[in-house]
Amino acid sequence: MEKELDKVVEEIMSTPNVNGCLVADHQGLCLASKGSAHVDSAGIIVAISEQACKIQPNLKPPTVCLETDNKICLIQRHGTITGAIFKQKGAA
Amino acid sequence: MEKIPDQLGYLILTEDGAVLESGGDLENDERVATIITDLISLSNSIDPVAFGPEEKFKKISITYDDHWFSICISNKKIYVVKRSIHTSSSEIAVNV
Repeated sequence: MEKELDKVVEEIMSTPNVNGCLVADHQGLCLASKGSAHVDSAGIIVAISEQACKIQPNLKPPTVCLETDNKICLIQRHGTITGAIFKQKGAA
Repeated sequence: MEKIPDQLGYLILTEDGAVLESGGDLENDERVATIITDLISLSNSIDPVAFGPEEKFKKISITYDDHWFSICISNKKIYVVKRSIHTSSSEIAVNV
């Protein structure tokens, strides 16, 4: 059943500089995770995307980007599903 | 803060979310201020495996179709800027 989702996760993981990927449902339950993304962070990731949606609830959900010195975490919500991608900053 | 290019509004907050300065679209916007301080406290507890304890976030951006919010913390103050996204005429020309 989750073959399609696994395929998408594989595809994301094969993108350069990506070292983790996580997909969760609206309750914060992890649907898929790969690489450095930990299953336990699904709840927090969904909470962050929900919080960001509250800023302008009438617009479509925004993309949230959290940056450290050398890593990036991108969070995007689509319907009830939230996806997160953990990336290494590429050499500029 | 008013001098930032494409700026639509800004907020300067204390760490507990009180508005120190504000302007533009975000003038005295305590609702957004509360949401953003909550967002920051949430982001502090994100994935300890992917991000080590010594790796603190230095910037958060929230991107919509035609504008984005940039959030940074400096000197114990939270700086929030709402900026517009321009699609330049050259990009449109390429799409056509």
